[in-house]
Amino acid sequence: MAGLTRERRTAYLLGLPAALITAALFLVPLALLFAVSFTGADGFSLSAYARLFGSEHYLWVIGNSLQLALITTLVTLVIAYPASFAIARAKGVWRSLLLGSLLLPLAASVIVKAFAWTILLRSTGIVNNTLIALGLIHEPIRMIFTETALVIGAVNVFLPFMILPIFAVVAQMDERLTEAAATLGAGPVAAFWRVTVPVTLPGVIAGIALVFSLTVSAYVVPTLLIGERYPTLPSTIAKAYLLTNEGSFGAAAGVVLLTIALAVVIVSSRLGKAPGAAR
Amino acid sequence: MPVTSLSRRTLLKASAALAGTVAMPSIVRAAPKEIVIGGPAGAAKYFNESVFPLLKQKLGVTVLYEGTNSLTNLQKMQADKAAPKFSVVIMDDPVMIRAAAEGLIVPMQASAIPNLGKLVPGAVHLDGMWANYQLPWAGIAYNTKSGAPTSWADMWAPSHKGKVIVPSIQNTEGFWNLLIAAHLETGKPLAEAQYDIDAGFRKLKSLVPSLLNVYTNAPQAMNLLEQGEADMIGGQFSAYTLTRKMDGAPVDLAIPKEGGFAMPSGIAKITGGPASDLADAVIDAFLGPDVQQVLATKAVVTPTNLTTPRPAGYPDPATLFAPDWGFVAKERGKWAERWTTELL
Repeated sequence: MAGLTRERRTAYLLGLPAALITAALFLVPLALLFAVSFTGADGFSLSAYARLFGSEHYLWVIGNSLQLALITTLVTLVIAYPASFAIARAKGVWRSLLLGSLLLPLAASVIVKAFAWTILLRSTGIVNNTLIALGLIHEPIRMIFTETALVIGAVNVFLPFMILPIFAVVAQMDERLTEAAATLGAGPVAAFWRVTVPVTLPGVIAGIALVFSLTVSAYVVPTLLIGERYPTLPSTIAKAYLLTNEGSFGAAAGVVLLTIALAVVIVSSRLGKAPGAAR
Repeated sequence: MPVTSLSRRTLLKASAALAGTVAMPSIVRAAPKEIVIGGPAGAAKYFNESVFPLLKQKLGVTVLYEGTNSLTNLQKMQADKAAPKFSVVIMDDPVMIRAAAEGLIVPMQASAIPNLGKLVPGAVHLDGMWANYQLPWAGIAYNTKSGAPTSWADMWAPSHKGKVIVPSIQNTEGFWNLLIAAHLETGKPLAEAQYDIDAGFRKLKSLVPSLLNVYTNAPQAMNLLEQGEADMIGGQFSAYTLTRKMDGAPVDLAIPKEGGFAMPSGIAKITGGPASDLADAVIDAFLGPDVQQVLATKAVVTPTNLTTPRPAGYPDPATLFAPDWGFVAKERGKWAERWTTELL
């Protein structure tokens, strides 16, 4: 017993520097942010939150952020799930090639990628020209600064964060599991839903948590791809601090943003555990 | 007889004045030789290449330039308030207004900065808190293929639907569209219309659905204009548009019939900053003809010093409208909120 305690004490001591750094760099600033969000002209006040939740405009802003994050997460999931299997099943050079084409763009700045989409999607851009050449449309359609362009850009920027966690799980998956399911009489559809999906679920959950929290807090992508007419929580925070000098309002918007991201991470990890626990 | 006595007095006065002017620069030369100036990153290139060598030559001063955006410099000034690092700061008026309100800049005296008295009307703000050392002029930037707009009302024309960009109220140049919209809606002259911003919001609201974009990032908007994706950018200004034209881009800047505007580029003295005399001398140089001539050609801006010759084709600053910045300062926060909640 005494040995265990000593061991535990050593572990705590060894963990202390990391804990101190975490506290100083993350917990204290978060506590400050939280505290500032509850201040008004004379001390404690809920006015910042009242303004956020009491006006139709800011509810719409919160809705915009949620909508963008939700759609982007769904679209990336639909693309990433099969893509992860393709990469995991690919052999040798193909696998390196696929992984490289996924990872290399991460080195390019998000500003460059967002800017590139405004070039591709403009009325004389390659997308419109291709659609016209194929006879699908007769004159260029307006694509830049639309919600569609925003989702396309966001999916492009955040896709790797969905593929990588799913790929990591799929690459580890024992292929004999589906064979075993087949031996036990499961058809391909049943094997997929009852074996493959549950096994890959932790990767999917991690991907959803990552992409959702990155998208809901994205600033550059919405700013460059749709501008001020689609205000989001991050643009509201920037405006509060840089333009109108309202620290407590910016902090309150930050707390709401953080709460949304945390809620998604917590709920999704709960959901991720549930089916495994039931089995 | 009276003639000789008079000439003696005149001689005395003249020699005193001469001693004064000779002594002043020598005092300045004896003071510290380095000075820190905070200013916009975009100006760093032509400041370093053309303006600072001139200051070195004239005043023997080496300038250490901190080029970043105005709000970052404001934050540095707030943080260093007890022991300022900057002696002089160069910022846009909306940020100057905040700096003045927080006591970070100090009124400049015409006795120490003689060129303050030689500027075009309206170039000195809030009793000398800051002065405009250059005036980029604002109008409508347009793609030369789509033709020059003649009136600000052209932005509302159905033929330009989906092809017009305006700056956000977050950008200094975002104010011009609000002002001109108030003028178009009420028919009042700009000097009166500037106090009727309600009308401006009403008129601008009818433009929003047919806009291509509301920008905060000016280079992106300029790129779309150059590519012909946009026909015009309302409220854009010379230092951005005409420098691109000089580089060969198919863009130009129109001053529509209702008039153009004077963009505020201010210079100010830091409260309690180091090398106070040197700061005065540097500000005086920025407001003087030598530096302003360089700026006029390198940055495509109108000089504010009345003795600086204005390059051909540059508008007369007297014809450009300069708004009541005190009023703008008071109302800007409210407008920013209305811009977000009502307009977009």
